[in-house]
Amino acid sequence: MTLFFDTEYLFVRALKKVIRNPILLFFSLFQPVLFLTLFTQLFKGLGGLAGFPSGSYIAFVTPGILLQNGFTSALQSGTSMVDELNSGFLQNMLVTQVNRSAILLGRLLSDAFRVCVQSIIILVMAYLLGAQMVTGIAGVVVILVTIASFGLAWSGISLSIGLATRRAETVTAIGFFLTFPLLFMSTALFPQAFLPSWMQIVSSLNPVSYNVNAIRDLALGGITWSTMLSAYGVTALLAVLTLGATLYQFRKVVS
Amino acid sequence: MGDIIDVSDLVLVYADGTKAVDDITFNVKEGEFFGFLGPNGAGKSTTIKVLTTLLKKTSGRIRVAGYDIEHEQGEIRKLIGVEAQESVIDPDLTGRENVTLQGNLQQMKGTSLTERVDELLRLVELEQVADKQAGRYSGGMKKRLQLAASLVHKPKLLFLDEPTTGLDPQSRAGIWNYLEKLNKVEGITIFLTTQYLEEADKLCGRLAIIDFGKIVASGSPAELKREVGADTIALSLEGGRDGETAVAKKILGSVEGVTEVFDSDGGLTAHAKDASRLIANVVRALDEGGVRLSSLNVSTPSLDDVFLKHTGRRIRAEELGKRPEMVFGMRRLRR
Repeated sequence: MTLFFDTEYLFVRALKKVIRNPILLFFSLFQPVLFLTLFTQLFKGLGGLAGFPSGSYIAFVTPGILLQNGFTSALQSGTSMVDELNSGFLQNMLVTQVNRSAILLGRLLSDAFRVCVQSIIILVMAYLLGAQMVTGIAGVVVILVTIASFGLAWSGISLSIGLATRRAETVTAIGFFLTFPLLFMSTALFPQAFLPSWMQIVSSLNPVSYNVNAIRDLALGGITWSTMLSAYGVTALLAVLTLGATLYQFRKVVS
Repeated sequence: MGDIIDVSDLVLVYADGTKAVDDITFNVKEGEFFGFLGPNGAGKSTTIKVLTTLLKKTSGRIRVAGYDIEHEQGEIRKLIGVEAQESVIDPDLTGRENVTLQGNLQQMKGTSLTERVDELLRLVELEQVADKQAGRYSGGMKKRLQLAASLVHKPKLLFLDEPTTGLDPQSRAGIWNYLEKLNKVEGITIFLTTQYLEEADKLCGRLAIIDFGKIVASGSPAELKREVGADTIALSLEGGRDGETAVAKKILGSVEGVTEVFDSDGGLTAHAKDASRLIANVVRALDEGGVRLSSLNVSTPSLDDVFLKHTGRRIRAEELGKRPEMVFGMRRLRR
C-alpha cells in the first residue's frame, strides 16, 4: 500500500512541476507538432511515389513522429533525476520513510503520462491534416499504451546514464547520439524498401521499427497480431535491460 | 536519560580514498542540544549523512534512538528529522505543498496532516506566504520552510546541517529562536553542525570540535573556554615581515604572565591570565624590541581560541558567506 500511495504523491508532484512551468510545457507540447508539420510539408510528394505503401505521407509518418516524441520525452526522465540528485532533493526523500521503489515509479509514470498527452495532441493534429485512424478509439488507446511502454523502456537508458554520471549534459549528449540514428535508420520516416540496403539490415534489427510498424498497422491497416507481439516483445526485452540497469544504479545511490 | 546517539570508533572512507571521518567516538543524550563545530571539510556533513542512514559507515558502531544503524534503518527513519545543508525545497510547489509532500512521504495524510502543516507554517511564520511558490521565497524563508518540513512527523531527534549558513544576521537570529523553542519547549533532541562560533556558543549545551575528521575537544562551551584558561591578546604587526613576527613572538613569550603564543592570520595571538593588566608591559616590551604594532585586542576566551588551541588555526570566517550563494546561483542556471 505504501508503494501505491507514495507513487501517487510523487506522480502528482511531477505533474504539478510540469504544469507550473508554462514555457517548458508549451515547448514540450508543441515540439512534436512542429516536427509533424515540418516532415509532412517537406516530404508531401513522397506519398505519390510508386511503391509507397499508403496514399498519404501524413498518415504514413504520424506513427514515426509519435515515436520520435516518445524518445525525446524519455530523455527528460534522466535529466530530471540528475537534477534531484544534485539538488539534494533525492537525498531528502531517502531519509524519510518513503517506499524506495515509489521514487522511480512516480518518475516513470509521470513521464509516461506526459508522453500520452503529447501523443494525443499529435494524433489530433494528424487527424486535422487528413490522416486516417481505421481502428478508431480502441486503436488510439492501444497506440498510447504502445508509445508509453516504449517510452518507459527508453527512459531506463537516460535514467541509468543519469544515475551513473550525475550530469545532465551527458544524458542529453548520449541521448541525442542514440536518438537520431535510430530514428533515421528505421521505418519511422520512410518505408523499409526505400532505404539503402545496409540500412535495411539495421532497420530490421531496430526496436524503433518494430514499434512504428505496430502503430502504423493500428492507424492504417488494422490490428496484426504478429506485428503487435513482436513490438511488445522487443519493448519488453529493452525494458528488462534498461530498467534493470536503472535499478542497479539506483540501488547504488540509495544504499 | 539515555543516549539517543551513541557512536564509537566511526570511520568513513570515501571510494576515492578520502578519509572524511577518522575514528570518532561521541554520544548525545536525550533532550540535549549538541553541536559539531568545525571548518569546511572537517567531516561534519559526512557524519550527519552516516547518522541519517544516507551513507554507509566504513567501520565503527552506531546506535540511534537505541536502533542499530545497519539493521534497523527503517525504525531510525521514523524517529529522525533532517534538514540538509542544500536547499531541498521544491521551487515549483508552494510552501504548504512542500510541507504536505514531506508529510506524505513520512506516511501521513488526512486532516491530521493538514492540521500539522498549518501548525508548522505558523511556527516558522510563513502562513502569510504559504500558498506562494517556494521558488520565490528568500533564503531565510526557504530555510524556515525546510525546518518546518523536517519537523512534520514530530521527530524525536532533529539533525541540522549548517542551518544558518549564508543567512543574514536577522534571519539567523530567527532560526536560533525556533531551535531553542523546539529543544526547550518540545523536548526535541537536536544535533547541529556549524561553522559559526557564536551559533555553537549560543545554542549548544554540549559540543564537539571537529577538524580533519577527528574530534579534537568536547564539552560544554563554558568548559571548553575554561580549558583555554586564559584571556587572549591578539596583535597585528605593522611590518608583518617574517623576521619581525619571529622577534615579536619571542618578546611576547618572555613577558611575565603570558602562557602561550601562536601565529595567527596576519599577526600573533597570546594567552595570559588577566590579560588586561598586561597591556602596558606587552606594548613596552615590543616597543623596546623595535616591533611596531598596528593593533592590539584583548578578549576573554572564545570558542575560536579553543579551536586555535587544539588545531593551531582559526576557523576562517570569511569563507562562510560566499559558498551558499554560489550553490544557489548554479542551481538556478541548471533549471
